[in-house]
Amino acid sequence: MGETVGKLIGLNDEVISPTASLAMEAHNSHSKPFLVKKIKIRHDHLSVVVLAFRGSMLPNDWFGQPPFRETKIDTNKFRSLTSLNDRGDAVINGSFFRRFNTVLEQSSLVKEVKKAVAKKKQVVFSGYSSAGPIAILATLYFLENLEPNQILPPRCLTFGSPLFGDQIFGHALRREGWSDYFTHFVMKYDIIPRIMLSPSSTEHEQILNYFKSKFDRKTINPAPPIGFYLTVTGNASSVASYEACHLMGCRNPSLDIIKSFIELSPYRPSGTYIFCTGNGNLVVVKNPNAVLQILIHCAELGESNAAEVEKRSMDEHLAYLSELKECLGMQDVVSLDGGPAAATLNDLGLSPQAMLCLQSAEEFENGRSRNQYQIRKNKDKIEVELGKMRKYKENSEIRRVGYYDSFKLQHEDDDFHANVSRLQLAGIWDEIEETLKEFEVPDDFERKKEFIEIGTEYRRLVEPLDIANFYRHSKDKETGAYRIISEARPDRYLFIQRWLEHHEKKPFGSRSESLFWADVEQLGIDIKKKGYLQEIEDRIHQLERNLIAWIDVDKSLDKDVLLENSTFVKWWRALPPQHKPESDRIEKLICDNEKAAGL
Amino acid sequence: MKRRRMNQVPLFSSAGELANLVVTSNLTDISWAMILEFRRGQSALPCSVQPMVYDPTPNEPNRTIVVFAPSPDSTQYALSQGGDLVPCPEFDFLCTKGCPSVSINRAALTLFTPLYGHLSALKNKLNKREGQLIITGHSLGGSIASLFTLYLLSSMDKESKCRPICITFGSPLIGNFGLQHSHWNSFFVHVVSNKDPLPTLFLPSGRSAPTSSHSQATAYKPFGTYLLCSELGCACFDDPDLILKILTVASSEVAGGVLQVVDYGEILRNLKNRAICKGTQPVGERFAYPFSDGIVMELKTIGIDPAKHNIDITRMEAEARALAKKTNASDAKELNDIKKYMVMLEWYKKKSKEANKCYYDCFKNGDFQRDVRIEEFVGQLTTYWEDMVAQAERKPQKEGASFRTGWLQSATTFRRMVEPLDIAIFYRDGGRDYINNGRSPLYKLLQKLYDEAAKNPPDSKKKNVSVLLTDDSCFWAHVEESILSCQSLNHANSTPEQRESSWKNLVKFGEYVTKQIENFAVSPEIFLEQSTFMKWWRMYEASIDAFRNFYTSPLVNFMKSHKYDDYGLPEEA
Repeated sequence: MGETVGKLIGLNDEVISPTASLAMEAHNSHSKPFLVKKIKIRHDHLSVVVLAFRGSMLPNDWFGQPPFRETKIDTNKFRSLTSLNDRGDAVINGSFFRRFNTVLEQSSLVKEVKKAVAKKKQVVFSGYSSAGPIAILATLYFLENLEPNQILPPRCLTFGSPLFGDQIFGHALRREGWSDYFTHFVMKYDIIPRIMLSPSSTEHEQILNYFKSKFDRKTINPAPPIGFYLTVTGNASSVASYEACHLMGCRNPSLDIIKSFIELSPYRPSGTYIFCTGNGNLVVVKNPNAVLQILIHCAELGESNAAEVEKRSMDEHLAYLSELKECLGMQDVVSLDGGPAAATLNDLGLSPQAMLCLQSAEEFENGRSRNQYQIRKNKDKIEVELGKMRKYKENSEIRRVGYYDSFKLQHEDDDFHANVSRLQLAGIWDEIEETLKEFEVPDDFERKKEFIEIGTEYRRLVEPLDIANFYRHSKDKETGAYRIISEARPDRYLFIQRWLEHHEKKPFGSRSESLFWADVEQLGIDIKKKGYLQEIEDRIHQLERNLIAWIDVDKSLDKDVLLENSTFVKWWRALPPQHKPESDRIEKLICDNEKAAGL
Repeated sequence: MKRRRMNQVPLFSSAGELANLVVTSNLTDISWAMILEFRRGQSALPCSVQPMVYDPTPNEPNRTIVVFAPSPDSTQYALSQGGDLVPCPEFDFLCTKGCPSVSINRAALTLFTPLYGHLSALKNKLNKREGQLIITGHSLGGSIASLFTLYLLSSMDKESKCRPICITFGSPLIGNFGLQHSHWNSFFVHVVSNKDPLPTLFLPSGRSAPTSSHSQATAYKPFGTYLLCSELGCACFDDPDLILKILTVASSEVAGGVLQVVDYGEILRNLKNRAICKGTQPVGERFAYPFSDGIVMELKTIGIDPAKHNIDITRMEAEARALAKKTNASDAKELNDIKKYMVMLEWYKKKSKEANKCYYDCFKNGDFQRDVRIEEFVGQLTTYWEDMVAQAERKPQKEGASFRTGWLQSATTFRRMVEPLDIAIFYRDGGRDYINNGRSPLYKLLQKLYDEAAKNPPDSKKKNVSVLLTDDSCFWAHVEESILSCQSLNHANSTPEQRESSWKNLVKFGEYVTKQIENFAVSPEIFLEQSTFMKWWRMYEASIDAFRNFYTSPLVNFMKSHKYDDYGLPEEA
C-alpha cells in the first residue's frame, strides 16, 4: 500500500492523466493520425513527449477473415517478435497492423519521434480503444530501432485497448525485457479489452456501431445493443478455462482433442495491466496468465442481472477519464504479483474458483523459476562433461588426429568415453529443450548470457561428434543430409544456435560453424553423386570462405580441422585445383598450423 | 485428511475448468442441436435406428456429424432386453491383458447388431474423410455412437486425416473393457446429469432392469471423459473408479423410480450461464491446499460429498503427483540414458573382442567388470523394456501392436545384446535347460513379437557381420546344452540310451549352427580361440574321434578346414 501507479510502472505520476486525455482526444480526431503533446514535469528535469493515435470504430479496422483476423507478424520490421525455438513467429491482429503501417508510411511519425529523441526526451506512445494496438506497435517499432545514443526507451500507455498479440508475442516482449514498458489500463467491466477473445460476429458489429455513434455524436443517445454479453464472455471464458487447464497441469488427454474441435482466440495479454475496480482502487498485475484470468473472471455476472452488467460493460469503456481522475489522486494501488491477496480480489469481485486460477498462475511462474534453478544446478554436470570433451579434443590433437576423425573411427578408449559424455550431455540438453518448447522456464532464459555461453561451447564442441556419428553410420541414407534445419539435426543445437544469433543480432544461419563437418561430409557425398555442378562449386567456395572467416576472423572454429590427416584436408587437397578458388589462403592456414605445432 | 508436505509443489485439479471449457465451447451445443434436428425429421419413421450423416456444408466445410438417436420405441424395446453383459468377439480388438474377452451390454447390442452391415459401409466411407468428425447420440443412441466410434478407431491408421470425437448424452455404461491406458480414451466425452437415471440403469445400486443380474453389472467399466453435471455446475473426470463411484452415488439419489426424460438442452444452457457467473460465494483466503480444496469444491458442485461418500482425495492427489512427474523432458532424458547404457554394453563387447574373447565368456568369467558396471546397466535396460512391454499390454490389442512396432527394432537389439549375459549367469551358476527353466517372460515375449513381425526370411546375402550381434539371442544356451551333451556322451556312467540321445542332440545342434553360419546370423566372435563355442568344438571333435570316427557333417567340415577364419570377411574384389 501507499505506492503510486507511477512508481509501480516507472513513469512520473503527472504523465498519466494528461496522456489519458490526449489519447481520448486523438482517438476521435478527424484530421490527424496522431496528436503530439509535450509535458513538463515539476521538480524534474525530464520532459516527456506524448504521441497519441487516432482510432477507428469501423468493423473492418477490427475484424475480418480468418475469424480472429490473426496474421503472422512481419519479422523484417519486428525481428524480435518470434520464438527462438520451433514455435514460430508472433501472431497479431492484421487489421490493426495494417492501420499501423499506414500511419508509419504516410505520416510524420518517424520524424517526430527522432526529433524528440534527439532532444533527449522521454517518448510515450498512447492509445485509447482501437488506437491501443497502434500505440503498442509504434512502441515496438522504435524499440526495435533504438537510436544509437538513446538512453530512454519509449513507453506505451493504453486505455481500454483490445487484445492484440498471441502468446509468442507476449513471450518475445518479456524475453527482450520490454514488457515493463507497456502499461494497459482496463476498467473492470469494459467489454472492449475482452472482445478479441471472441470470433467476429454480428454482435461485434453492433457494439462497434454503438461506440461509433457515441464518438461521432451524430445521434443523440444511441441505443446500446443488448444480448451480446453471454456470447462474448462465454467465448472469453473458454479461453480462460483452456489456459487454466494448462496452468493447473491438466493431464486429461481429451483436452487436446477438444481443443482441436473449437476455435479459441489466439490473443493473450502482455505488459503490465492496471485494473480499475470501480470503487477508486487500482490493481496492478504483471503475470500474463494472472492478467488473463482476472480479465475474464472479474467481468463475470454476479448477483446483479445480466442486462445491468451488459450496460455497464458498454458504459465503462467510456469512463476512463473520470475513473482515472478519481483513482490517480489516491495512493491506493495494490500490486498482485506477490501473490493474490484476498482483500484485493474482493475488490475485483472474484470467486473462489478465480482464486484457484490465480494461484495456479502464480504457481506456474514459481515452477518456471524452479526449472531454471534446476538447469542452473545442472550446469555443473554440463561443465564436468564439457571438461572431459575438451581433454579428449586436446589428446586427439596431440596424436595429430582431430577429435572428429578419431571419434568417427571409434578405435580408442577415449572415443568410447567421449561417446558416453556425448549421450550424457544430449540427455541434459534434450531435457532443457523440451522445457523451453513448453515455455516452462522464465521468458528471458534464452537471452541469459550464462546459458548462451555454455550452450555455444557445448554446440561447438559436441555437435561435430554428433555429425561424426551420423556419417559414421551413413544415416544420411535414411534421413537425408545433416543441415541447419533438418530431421537429422537434433533440435537442441538449432535452438542454441538461434540464441547466439539473436543475441548478436545476426541473421539466421550465420552462426553455423558447428555444422562445418556436415558441410564437408555432404559435399564429398554430393560430388561423388553429381560431379562438379555449378551448385556444388558454389558450395565449395562458400565452405572455403566460411572456413577462413571462422578460423581466422572470429575464431569460432578450431584449427584441428586443418590437421594434415583430417578428413577435411585430405578431401580438400584431393579436389582438382580449378575447384578451389581460395586455395592459397587455405593452404597457408594448413601450413601455419603445422608449423605452429613444430612440425 | 493428510495434507501436502511443506516442500511439495502444490497441485491443482482442473476438473472444473475442463468442464467449463467443454460447455462454453459450442461442441456440446452443436451435438445436442443436431440430435434435436434429427428427432424432428424422424417422427415419420417410428422404428428407425439408423444414424443420420450430416455432411460438411459451405459454412462448415471441414465438419461431418453423425447422429445416433434411435426412436423411443426402439429404445424401449432394446432396454427391455436387459443390461447384462454379452460376450462380443467383434470387439475383441479392445482386449487388454486385464480384459481378455470383451462383453457388451445386451441393450446396446440389440440396437447395434442389426446395423452392423450398414455401419461397416459407413465406417469405410468416413475413414477417408478429412477434418472433424463428430459422432453423437442420446441415451442408447449414445451407446451405439460409442461402439461405432470404437469400431471406426480400430480401422484408422496413422495416415488417416479424419479426426473423430464422440459425444454422448445420458448414455448407459457399455461394457467390461477399459481404455485407461489407451489414447483412444481421449476421443470420448460423456455428458451425464445427476438427474438422469438412464446412465446408471445397469449399475447394482440403481433400479435394475428386468433381466440384469447384479454380479455381472459390477463388471461395467466407464471409459473416456465424463462431464458430470448438476444444477449447480459441472466437472470432468477420467478416472474410471471415481466415475463409477460418482455414478453409483447418483443412481441411489435419483428421485423416484420413474424414467423421466432429462432435457440436456436445458442443462447445457444452464451450465453455460453458470460458467460466466461467479456464484454467490465471496472469495475467501488463499487456498492452502489447492488440490484437495479444489476437488472438494468440484465434487460438491456435482452433488458429491467426498467425506460422506468415502472418496479418497489423498490417493487422488498422490496419483496426480506421480503423473505430473512424467513429462516430455523426463522422457527425453530417459531415452538418452537408455542409449547410453547400450553404448556401455557395446563397449564391453568391443573390449572383450580386443582381448580375443567373446563378451559372453568375459561376463561369465567376470573379466573387466570393474571397468564397466555391466550388471547395473543390464538392470536398468531390463526395467525399461519391461515397462514398455507392460505399457503395450495395457492398451487395446490393435493400438498396442502399432505402439510396439515403433520400438521393436530397439527391443530386438536389446534382447540380442543382453540375453547372452543372462544365459552366462544361468550356466555359470550350474543351471540346466535355460530355455525352459531360465528364460524370463520378457525375452520370450520380445522374441515372439519379433518372430510375428519378421515376415521376410532372414537375409542370407553375405554381409559384413563383424559388428553384428548374433540373431538368435539363445545361441549361447544351445552351446551350453551341447557341452552338457558332450559331457554326457563321454561320461563313463552314461547308459547307451543317454549316449544315443546326446549324440542326437549334438547332430541337431550341428545342423542348427550350420544354418546360422550360412545365413550369416552369428557373430564371428564365437570362433575366437577361448570362446565357449570353440571349447565345445574341441570337446565335440574329440568325441567324434572317440565314438564315430568317420562321422562328417557340413559343420565338421567347416570347422576342421578352418573356414571360419574367413567367415564374415568382406569378399575379395
